[in-house]
Amino acid sequence: MTRTYEEFPGVEWVEGAGQFIRVIEERCSGCANCVKVCLADCYEISGKKARIRDLDRCMECASCWYVCPEDAIAFSWPPGGTGFRTDWG
Amino acid sequence: MKEYDVVVIGAGFGGPVAAKKCAEAGFRTLMLERSARVGEKVISGLTIPFYGFLFGPAFIRDGNPPIERPVDGIINYIIKDIEAGDIEIDDSLRIPRPLSPILAFGYNAYCRPFCQWEAEKAVESGVELRTSTTVVELLKEDGRVVGVKTDKGEEIRARLVIDGEGSQGLLAVGAGIREKYPPEVISLADVYDYEMAKEDVDEVFGYTLRFCWGWDEQRIAPPLGHGNGLMVWPYRESVHFCQDQCLAMDDGKVPNLRKLFEEYHRNLTSGLPWWREEIAPRARLRARVFENFEIFVGLNERLRAMPNHADGIILIGDAAGLESTELCDGVPAAWFSADIAADVAIEALRAGDVSASFLSRYDQRVRAHPIIQWSITAPHRYNLRFAQEHHSLEELRRYVHDGWGLGGFAFMSSALVKMILQAIREDPMIITSWLRMFPRYYYNWLYERYDYSGGRGEPARDHSREPRVAQAVLRAGFKLMDSALALGAPLVKAAAGLLEPVARFANPAMKVLLPGIEALMRGWKKVEPALAPLSDRMIDFVGRADPAVFAAPRKGGG
Ligand SMILES: Cc1cc2nc3c(=O)[nH]c(=O)nc-3n(C[C@H](O)[C@H](O)[C@H](O)COP(=O)(O)OP(=O)(O)OC[C@H]3O[C@@H](n4cnc5c(N)ncnc54)[C@H](O)[C@@H]3O)c2cc1C
Ligand code: SF4
Ligand code: SF4
Repeated sequence: MTRTYEEFPGVEWVEGAGQFIRVIEERCSGCANCVKVCLADCYEISGKKARIRDLDRCMECASCWYVCPEDAIAFSWPPGGTGFRTDWG
Repeated sequence: MKEYDVVVIGAGFGGPVAAKKCAEAGFRTLMLERSARVGEKVISGLTIPFYGFLFGPAFIRDGNPPIERPVDGIINYIIKDIEAGDIEIDDSLRIPRPLSPILAFGYNAYCRPFCQWEAEKAVESGVELRTSTTVVELLKEDGRVVGVKTDKGEEIRARLVIDGEGSQGLLAVGAGIREKYPPEVISLADVYDYEMAKEDVDEVFGYTLRFCWGWDEQRIAPPLGHGNGLMVWPYRESVHFCQDQCLAMDDGKVPNLRKLFEEYHRNLTSGLPWWREEIAPRARLRARVFENFEIFVGLNERLRAMPNHADGIILIGDAAGLESTELCDGVPAAWFSADIAADVAIEALRAGDVSASFLSRYDQRVRAHPIIQWSITAPHRYNLRFAQEHHSLEELRRYVHDGWGLGGFAFMSSALVKMILQAIREDPMIITSWLRMFPRYYYNWLYERYDYSGGRGEPARDHSREPRVAQAVLRAGFKLMDSALALGAPLVKAAAGLLEPVARFANPAMKVLLPGIEALMRGWKKVEPALAPLSDRMIDFVGRADPAVFAAPRKGGG
């Protein structure tokens, strides 16, 4: 199964990616850097902690992982063949 | 457990180059790629500079890679006032006809078909390719990398691992080979892909890239030096619109990228007259993608000095932080480093020694590579941010000229000349390969279409009006040159060797010569219209030639 989204035309998401990005809550300081850089709007802050809303439109850019000052984001790639795909990069 | 001589991680731009060479040397080589179709997770697809092809892998230079459009120049727009549409143009990097667009300084391409083409060549050479497979961990024994573990739980042993996983380097970081890069050296690119009729792209862009540079307060592009201005790349029947911005500023602050990119894109598309009037009415948004890359790693000495090898493993391309500060030319760096990695891997496997101390010759050779070194350490583009600081139009113009205009040659000529001489010294016959490459690529651009459902389009060639005599002359010319070079090889090699020390004077010489060259080019533009018919005939001639005339002189490529 694949999904598409209006704000990101030309991209398909293949299901089965799972929670390949996680916030390690004890480490998160709530600085919101991850929220600021994520163009796919995957994060939100609730209770002064970052929370992943959903990874449905995640383009696997890893910006959130780079900007987290507390190393509170556990980042890995989704399983092979899942996640975003495009012909237009 | 399966065992290979070499396991290559990633089938992006670099991986297939290294894998192909190892397989050709007779080593059992496996290439693992996490995407279902090679290249569909690589986002760059912009310009690959000509020197990537000249000094890069022979199979790419001598083959027919999927190219979308040749590039003959950059038009730099300096935006003074976006409301009034007051735009300055500096098109100093254009190559005058009749050499253009046959003599291109770069080629635009989409990643997916390009990486797929490279991977196909690797497979033809005996590489085993497995897609839809994510490597989740490097296997280690006594601190030495001995293989990989995949997302399917499979453990695959390798005598040597070549890691071409791309810029994030999750595996290399995870295995403690190198650190995660700080956000200020990483840039996030927001890319819009628009469909546009070929005639419209031809009319609006021809063969030029368009870059826009402006001030912070105009809110049209990322602050200079923390990203680029706006860059627009033409393809065969589409254009890319790219804005990029570093993840952190000098003061460490992380900007709100979502808000900024939206604002820049809105302001540019509505406020920039040539976008609004020439492009918007003819373009249809087809895709929006984003990705980051390690743009300023090379300028940081500590990051630059991190090892790109360890016991049993070599890192190539973006995984080795070789993306460029100067022209985003990460693709050439990936090709060069993959080639070097394969050479070192072959030596190591033959010697039965894959220790870090043996593999350190990889890092030494990467550091000695003139173009990689120039491209990751040249600060001229980064310096653009000083123009922002001082708000000086004069500085802005100078930096744009030096970083993205003809002035760049005053900083890159030494590296180029050195590479030319080194390549000739190794094999003088390379000269005819170079000379055939440019018209062949141009010819392919005219006739090859790439359907994006996986295949390569059927070329539609018109040989009905071939100028046979001219072709015979051209063919004989190439043959004569081949023979002369073959005969005079020792002499040519010796001459190239003698000239090598002189290469380092190419930059200062260029500084002196540039004003003259620029005056000449300005003058040439006045002469050009008169010579246009002759130009057109020459270009037309190449277009109607028998492609065999430009075929690679020796076997290889495809
Ligand atoms: C927006 C943008 C614009 C750019 N513009 C230009 C330009 O104009 N000119 C230029 O020369 N360069 C440009 N670059 C840089 C260029 O794209 C890179 O330098 C180049 O792709 C690096 O090649 P690579 O083989 O090292 O890595 P990549 O091409 O990124 O390939 C890495 C591959 O590894 C795969 N992979 C990653 N992790 C795993 C894993 N764990 N298991 C299996 N597979 C894995 C990925 O799916 C991918 O296919 C640009 C980059 C970006 C992002
Ligand atoms: S990887 Fe990129 S798109 Fe995905 S959550 Fe992180 S910042 Fe957002
Ligand atoms: S960047 Fe890191 S520390 Fe800051 S909110 Fe996000 S997860 Fe928490």
